[in-house]
Amino acid sequence: MSLLNILILIAAALALRLLFPGKLRRWALLVSSVLAIFWLQPSLPIRQMDFWFPTATLGLVLASWALTAEKEQLKARQNQLAAALALGTVLLLALLRFVSLQGVLTASRPPQFSSVLIALLVIALLAALLVRFLQPTRPALTAGVLLILVIFVLLKTPALASLSSTGLRSLMGQDKSLALPSDLGWLGFSYVAFRLIHTLIDRMNGRLKEMGLDEVLIYTIFFPTFLAGPLDRLQRFRKDLNDPQPLDAEELRTSGTRLAAGLFRKFILADTLALVAIIAANVTQVRSAGWLWLMLAAYSFQLYFDFAGYSDIAIGVGRLLGFTLPENFNHPYRQPNLTQFWNNWHMTLTQWVRGYFFNPVTRALRKNKKLPAPLVIFITQVSTMLVIGLWHGITPNFIIWGLWHGLGLFIHNRWSSYTSPKRAALVTKRPALDKVLHLSGVAFNFVFVSLGWIWFALPTPALALETFGKLFRIA
Amino acid sequence: MKSEIIKKLEAYLREEVLQQPEREIKADEALISSGLIDSFSLVDVALFVEDNFDVHIDDTELNADSFDTLNQLADLIIERQDA
Repeated sequence: MSLLNILILIAAALALRLLFPGKLRRWALLVSSVLAIFWLQPSLPIRQMDFWFPTATLGLVLASWALTAEKEQLKARQNQLAAALALGTVLLLALLRFVSLQGVLTASRPPQFSSVLIALLVIALLAALLVRFLQPTRPALTAGVLLILVIFVLLKTPALASLSSTGLRSLMGQDKSLALPSDLGWLGFSYVAFRLIHTLIDRMNGRLKEMGLDEVLIYTIFFPTFLAGPLDRLQRFRKDLNDPQPLDAEELRTSGTRLAAGLFRKFILADTLALVAIIAANVTQVRSAGWLWLMLAAYSFQLYFDFAGYSDIAIGVGRLLGFTLPENFNHPYRQPNLTQFWNNWHMTLTQWVRGYFFNPVTRALRKNKKLPAPLVIFITQVSTMLVIGLWHGITPNFIIWGLWHGLGLFIHNRWSSYTSPKRAALVTKRPALDKVLHLSGVAFNFVFVSLGWIWFALPTPALALETFGKLFRIA
Repeated sequence: MKSEIIKKLEAYLREEVLQQPEREIKADEALISSGLIDSFSLVDVALFVEDNFDVHIDDTELNADSFDTLNQLADLIIERQDA
C-alpha cells in the first residue's frame, strides 16, 4: 500500500466516524469496507480478475455465513439489509464501466454489467438456499472449512496456481502460455480464509452462537485490517462494533501517536533498510561475508518495521473507528529465546494457529498417556510451525522455514526443560549472571531467527543454500 | 476456597511444570506473558484444571488474555464452577 493510499484510508476513517454517528456507523463501515476491497485490489494480468476476486471474497463471506445461520435468520431485516448493501455496492461499482472513472475505485474497467448482475444474483441465491435448506451441522460447517482450505491450496501452490491461471485465461480468451502463479493475486485471501475458518469452527463448537451477516461481513473485510491483520476474533470484534470507544481528545491523541509511529516505521525505517536488505537479486552479487551479514540484519529489521508498522497503522485507524484491535508485535527481537520470540511475533496469527491447531492436537495427544512428552512436543511444535510456513505459501522455502522454527522450538524446549532448574539455582547464588544469560540469549536468538529469514526472503532452496555458504565461507 | 484452588494450582506448577519444588509462585505473578509457562505446558494446565476442578478451558482460551496469573485462573475456575 502506498503512503497516499494509507493517508486516504485515515481520512476516510475520520470522515466516516464524524459523519455517521450511532447506528449509521455500522452500515457505513460495511459499505466503506466493500469499496475498500475493490479499491485496494491491484490490477492483474488476467482480464477482469481485479473485479472478480473482491466479488468472490464477498461471495465466500456470504456462503460461509449462510452455513452458520439458522433458517429464521433469513427473515431478519438486519441480515437482508447487510446482503443488499454489500451486493448493491458491487453493482454500483460495476456501473463505473460506463463512466471514465476506471483506476479510481477499481484497478481496471469493470466487467459487463449483466455479468456482474448475474454473478451477484447467483451469490445471493446460493446463500439463501444454504440458509434455507442446510442446518449448521458439524458436517456442513466442516465442508465449509475444507472448501476454504482447497481454495487456499489452489492459490498458494505455485504449480496449481499456474494451472488455475491457465483455466481462467482460456475462459477470458487470453494467451494460456503466459500463465504464471502470480496471476492469482487475490488480495487479502489468507486473512479472509483464517477469519472465516474461525467463525465456522467456533460455530461448530458452540463458542459462537447466532451471527449477524452484517457483523461477519464487517469483521471479515474490515478495511483497516483487510490487507495485513491483525487477525481479530469475532467475539472481541463485535463488542467494539456494538459499543465503540468514544472518539474524544485522548482517543484521537492515542490514535495519532500510533499512526505516526506506524508511518515512521513503515516508510522511513523499513523502506530505507529495504535499500540494503537481502533479496534474490542482490545476494548473488555480494562476495563479502561481512556485508552479507549486515544485509541479513537489515532484512530482519526491515521485515519487522514493515509488518509492525502496518499493524500500528491498522490499530491507529481502528481506534479512529472505535475499535481497540489486538496487538500483533511486542518487541520480538528483544526476547531471550525462540519460544518467547514466537509469543511476541505476529501474535494474532500464532494465537490463531495455537487455538485451532496446536492446542487441540496437543490436547488429543496428551490424553493418550502412553506417548512420552518429548515426542508429543516434537510432533506438535514441528507441525504447528509447518502450518505457519504453509500459510505464507506452499513452496519448498516456506516449508523449510517452518521446519527451521519447528525444530528450533523443540530444541529450545528440551534445552530449557533440562537447564531451567539448574539455571534457577545458579542465578539465586549469582544474580548478575541472569543479565548475562539473558543478553546472550537475545543475541543468539536474533542470529537464529535472521538465518531463518534467508529461507523466507529467497525464492529457492538453491539460492538460500548458496547464501548460507557465503555467510559461513563454505565454498 | 480461592486460596485452596491457588495452593493446588501452585503446587502443580512448581512440581510438575517448572520442576522446581522450591520455587515460590506469587498469586499475581505473570505466568504466560512472562514465558514462565510455555504453550505446551499450558495445555497440560488446562487438562489438570479439567481433571481436578471439573471446569473446561477451551483451546482458544489458552492465552494471556483469558488468564495470566494464578489469581485470574482461580477466578475463572470459580466463575465456571458457579455457572
